[in-house]
Amino acid sequence: MMQHILTFIIFIPLFTAIVLGIMRASTKSLKIGAMFSSVITLFLVAVVAYNFNPDIGMQFTKNLPWIQNAGISYIIGVDYLSLVILLLIGLLMPPLYIYMYHEERKGYWYNMMLLQTGVTGAVLSLDLVLFYLFWETMLLPIFVMIGKYGNGMHQYNSMKILLMTILGSMSMLFSILYIGYIYFETTGMWSFALSDLAIIAFEPKTSIWLAAGFLLAFAIKIPLVGFHTWMAPAYGSAPTPAVVILSAIMAKLGIYGIWRFGYGLFESTLSYYAPTIIVLALIGLIYYAIRAITENNLRKMFAYSSGSHLSLIALGLFLTNIYAWSGSLYFIATHALASAGMFLMIGLTYKRFNTVHISDLGGIASKAPIFTFFFAFFALSIAGLPGTGGFVAELLIIIGAFKADFWIGVLTATTMLSAMMYIFWMLQRTLFGAANKECQYSDLTLREITILLPLVVLLLVTGIVPSLFIPLFEPQLTTTLQDVLFVIGGLK
Amino acid sequence: MIEQLILALPMAIVVIGAFVLMLLSKSTRFNLDKLNLLAVLFLAIAFIMQYFTLGNHTIAFLFPDVFGESFILDDFSTIFDMMFTGGAILTLLVNNDYIKSRQYYSTEYFTLILFSVFGMIMLSHAHELVTAFIALEIASLSIYALAGYHKNNKVSSEAMMKYMVLGSMSSAFFMLGTALIYGVVGSTSLTEIALYTSSHTIDEMTLLIVGASFIMVTILFKIGAVPFHSWVVDVYHGAPYPVTMFMASTFKIAIFAIALRLYLVNFAPINSFWTEMLQVITILTLLGGSWLAISQKLVKRMLAGSSIVHSGYLLIALSSIGLGSELAAPAIMFYLLAYFLSAVGSFGILSFISVHSKKQMSYEDFKGFAERRPYMALMMSIFMFSLAGFPSTIGFLGKFYIFSAAIESGQILLAGLGIMTAFISVYYYFKLIAMMYFYPSQTPQKKLTINVSTVLIAVMALLVIWGGIGTSLIPFIPGADGFIDIAKQAMSSLK
Repeated sequence: MMQHILTFIIFIPLFTAIVLGIMRASTKSLKIGAMFSSVITLFLVAVVAYNFNPDIGMQFTKNLPWIQNAGISYIIGVDYLSLVILLLIGLLMPPLYIYMYHEERKGYWYNMMLLQTGVTGAVLSLDLVLFYLFWETMLLPIFVMIGKYGNGMHQYNSMKILLMTILGSMSMLFSILYIGYIYFETTGMWSFALSDLAIIAFEPKTSIWLAAGFLLAFAIKIPLVGFHTWMAPAYGSAPTPAVVILSAIMAKLGIYGIWRFGYGLFESTLSYYAPTIIVLALIGLIYYAIRAITENNLRKMFAYSSGSHLSLIALGLFLTNIYAWSGSLYFIATHALASAGMFLMIGLTYKRFNTVHISDLGGIASKAPIFTFFFAFFALSIAGLPGTGGFVAELLIIIGAFKADFWIGVLTATTMLSAMMYIFWMLQRTLFGAANKECQYSDLTLREITILLPLVVLLLVTGIVPSLFIPLFEPQLTTTLQDVLFVIGGLK
Repeated sequence: MIEQLILALPMAIVVIGAFVLMLLSKSTRFNLDKLNLLAVLFLAIAFIMQYFTLGNHTIAFLFPDVFGESFILDDFSTIFDMMFTGGAILTLLVNNDYIKSRQYYSTEYFTLILFSVFGMIMLSHAHELVTAFIALEIASLSIYALAGYHKNNKVSSEAMMKYMVLGSMSSAFFMLGTALIYGVVGSTSLTEIALYTSSHTIDEMTLLIVGASFIMVTILFKIGAVPFHSWVVDVYHGAPYPVTMFMASTFKIAIFAIALRLYLVNFAPINSFWTEMLQVITILTLLGGSWLAISQKLVKRMLAGSSIVHSGYLLIALSSIGLGSELAAPAIMFYLLAYFLSAVGSFGILSFISVHSKKQMSYEDFKGFAERRPYMALMMSIFMFSLAGFPSTIGFLGKFYIFSAAIESGQILLAGLGIMTAFISVYYYFKLIAMMYFYPSQTPQKKLTINVSTVLIAVMALLVIWGGIGTSLIPFIPGADGFIDIAKQAMSSLK
């Protein structure tokens, strides 16, 4: 059981979906099945986390031959980095299903289950082709959910996100094939396993091109500034569950990809790209924040806010010092929780007021106090309110930035300021002010509070006692960082 | 002698079947259903016999005292034979409802299909240029007739004329090439040619290279490579669905059977001469095909345009062979199978939908298709994924092998271009998926129909998925590795 546990975590949702699909299940049994699968996977993830040993690297690995002729194998495993995202996926799915409780369209449920398999598989796979498979698979449900159940120009926007993301994936595929070939050339065998490929020393020039293929895919997914044109339309059109996964999980997978495959395969080459990406991230940090200030659509506003914070995470990653790295990893988790909560709140806002435009909202505070509390809490935790996890993470990244360079530190610090600016101004206009008379102001129901409460608790715990979590990943993080620094010869 | 006869039997059964069907076609006791079944029966017998001859070829040539070395017997040709007969069986069965729904189908349809299969089988066995030419013409002539099968339809007749005139001209190139090669070598036997090419330097073989290039022109024409592509879209559009399906999948495989044999064995020493030419043609084919596919409004024409792009991928692998890639030849066979499954599946769905309407399906007509026929839409999506090379389908593995081969042979830019066109193809394939799923339907959901066509299409969809993710964990069922192993076996029998 223990050695197959990750396989179960990946495939239980897909398997449930297939069984229910073949049985042509009714909507009710579909809901129960989806819920059941998500709870079981959450339980299994908890088992993994409980048995996780923070002092060693890859654990629970499983290596099975798959397409032997091409050297593709089914290799999965979990380490501190994937465990963080795995926990997030496990924790977010049940609340999302509860949120979707009244959803009667069957395709929605099937897509969510497929999506869970896709993102989990991408986080756990350690073979490049397997990773590519899941990387593409997770895009499909998002494509269908935006195109079929979205709003606005959803057909156009879904095609846009599909094409832009696949452009990145294709460049990654090219790099993957080429790396596999280099391995074949040096050893006479085909292999796409990360552990095999990590030992190849590439020629610097080839390495730059290969890394570019990967970085393009990840930069589009994050998205770094310049690769972001799909972001606001897609977030704006996507239905709430899709947008939660997009911002809380999939964007983080871009970071995860750089961390796992970028630093796993070409440490030294990434230091070649580091200045470019740091500059892009800094521009993104500020540009997205400005766009967020001017945005009237709540979904798009938090899309930009999410982009701004993901730029911050990418920045921390490329600064390669221990503060920035721990901060980035910590921020992956806390930002996922906060943005999931925020996008759920926006979804609840839409359910109540049928609009997500700030100009149409107002005066919620006086009519729906509990709603107001949760809305404000998530918004502020995104802005990095002290006492929430985001604050700790941002602080760590900013310290890391100052350690790297004074001016980078100064620019990074503006993120807290600008976030406060758009968050408070937004709160003022939506929660306070004159009430819109046409709207129904019903407060949160018990079901909705159950969805949000775990997120609030987690954000508070991660904010107040970070010492509970940081030791869990710090030993291995330090080891990885030292390896990277050893190879690149100590980037400042 | 008996052994010889047994080995000749699969080929003979197909041609005997063709004659029997021709005779029976005037009988009033046989309707289309029965004849279709009979044709499938003949092909199935041939298929089974081919399966049993696989791997135990004791004799190299068929009736050497009569035909000389005209007909070779090896695993390579047998595996191709199985693909032809299998393809024809699928074409006949999937389109059973379609041919009954159209008035213009009469009984000689089956005869023509069987004759064309016979021609293809002969082509894959041909070990002599004139035999190859005759085989190619037997296959082509049947397909010319089939393309214009809807006699009262202007588009269909135009397609037939276009295809026949241009096709005959390209066949003339084949003949001219053969004559030139005969002039140099003094024989049209492939053995002699291989001997000659391996014992002379390139400078001594100018005329032979010219002749072989003419033969290449015919091959490139038949697979629809740019700049010999002008017929493809119109002919695919004009021909009835079953014929388009047959042409796009089975006939294309047949052309690659002869192309591989010539390229791998007989002209192998002079491959390097063609590499650059082939590379230019590949680039043109990939870009031109993509352009043609993007700009179409009818789904059938889009599939026709995209079939040019798929020829382009195959050409990448063909030029990789010349540059010494080990992977390339099996990759071509694998890709042919992958394309075959997905193309037959998607054309099958088109013909299935067209049973009840006379309309040519455009993208717009697919709006709301997922609501009307959810299962069909799912299968269509699977075929589109496979054609676009989306991972977890057989089409991805096909592209994977092709691009690996291209990188292996050093054609990195060509591999990059191939991946770019694969990216472009995502647009026109996913547009169909978007149409099917993202728009509401005007008409209510149709009842689930289960008949031979739908079951076969479902089986093909499963094969497409299984071919992409099949594992070797389940015993007795070949996994995703299975077919590439067979392809490698076939290629090793060539040398």
